[in-house]
Amino acid sequence: MENNEFLRVVDLHKSFNKLEVLKGINTSFSRNEVVSVIGPSGGGKSTFLRCLNLLEVPTSGQIIFDGVDICDKKQNINLHRQKIGMVFQQFNLFNNMNVMKNLTDAPVRIKKMPKEEACEKALALLNKVGLADRADAYPYQLSGGQKQRIAIVRSLMMEPEVMLFDEPTSALDPEMIGEVLEVMKQLADEGMTMIVVTHEMRFAREVSSRTMFLAGGHIEEDKPSHELFANPESPRLQEFLAKVL
Amino acid sequence: MSNFFSDIGMLFSRYNSFFLEGIRNTIIIALFAVLIGTVFGVLMAMMRMSKIWPLKAIATVYIEFIRGTPLMVQLMFIFYGLPMLGITFPEVSFIPNFSRFAAGIVAMSINSCAYVAEVIRSGIQAVDGGQMEAARSIGYSHTQAMLYVVLPQAIRNILPALGNEFITVIKESSIVSVIGIADLMFRTNDVIAVTYRTLPSLAIAAVIYFCMTFAGSRLIAFTERKMSHGKQ
Repeated sequence: MENNEFLRVVDLHKSFNKLEVLKGINTSFSRNEVVSVIGPSGGGKSTFLRCLNLLEVPTSGQIIFDGVDICDKKQNINLHRQKIGMVFQQFNLFNNMNVMKNLTDAPVRIKKMPKEEACEKALALLNKVGLADRADAYPYQLSGGQKQRIAIVRSLMMEPEVMLFDEPTSALDPEMIGEVLEVMKQLADEGMTMIVVTHEMRFAREVSSRTMFLAGGHIEEDKPSHELFANPESPRLQEFLAKVL
Repeated sequence: MSNFFSDIGMLFSRYNSFFLEGIRNTIIIALFAVLIGTVFGVLMAMMRMSKIWPLKAIATVYIEFIRGTPLMVQLMFIFYGLPMLGITFPEVSFIPNFSRFAAGIVAMSINSCAYVAEVIRSGIQAVDGGQMEAARSIGYSHTQAMLYVVLPQAIRNILPALGNEFITVIKESSIVSVIGIADLMFRTNDVIAVTYRTLPSLAIAAVIYFCMTFAGSRLIAFTERKMSHGKQ
């Protein structure tokens, strides 16, 4: 299934000044795959994810997306980013726009989608996440869980080929985590390719097909989820799982 | 005491044309200073946030230097110093005292520009960095993200501070009287020279300055309330 692989990371290094956070990451992702990235704080999970759409520019290495190295300075990163959705821990809905504008501004402005079409699409997606009645609300009027579901819809509006989630439930009250995970599970079931940095071990084990343990700037272990949780090999992973499970 | 108040009444009724001319000139100077200062302040703020280091260096040095030296020195430098270097402001026949005014406005603008630049920079940087990141992550270019996401939020921080800058400039502009511009302070001194009523004259000037700045600050508070809709 070689041609199914569409995102490949080759020897990725990232340093902040003298601190080397990623020390050579090699991996690849296939279409329709749901991959969880777990690991201790400061291990480089978020940095790795943020490198995938160049929010952090790698110090060295390649990120090959749809056959092109997006680290290449000649590539128009704005075009690639339209195909790589991202959901943040802090939601980051645009505070100066209401929900509908949050969802439709980018498709209309960047992809030149007709406004009516964008609105229809937005409403359909809002319906799916159960928030159609909040289309006119401003971000400050929404709860954390609602904001995050809308942030997910905002990414979906651009019809991405892959979605990156950077600890999407870490800033949420416990009772709101479920509603966000539910939406993510639904996305996974529909075949969206997802890379999820998470502390939700249940999500990693039950929803993602593959789990990656990132610690000390390396991928320590990378296996089908049920295997990784059932038979952790490396001592660091065993220690980590003992703490969080 | 009653003498004091009757003096004020007398001075104001007899010399109101002095005060009115002073008010007019003060407002003209402050308005131009803030307008020109804002235009160049935007430019200076962009330079200061630029990734091109020579631009950034120029802006940083300019802002720090202007904010770190007295307005009085800057004004004297422009009005007395520049002509010694052979740079003079031209006279314009239909505007009396144009070269003085020009020197005053240039000095105030140069000064105001540095402060406005900092107001704008801090207003933009006060917007959460996640807003820019989120916009970039769905494909906005840096310029688009600035224009449609960051700046509309920054304006809320910037406008009130810009209003405060205008109020500061109204007060600070009294300094241009030392180079002979007939602003409110200058005309107040005239009234003192003619009448020897120092205290009442200064009291009138103080009240007029206060009325101008107070009206300004009320206006700012009003726009601030208007803009607070849709804030987080």
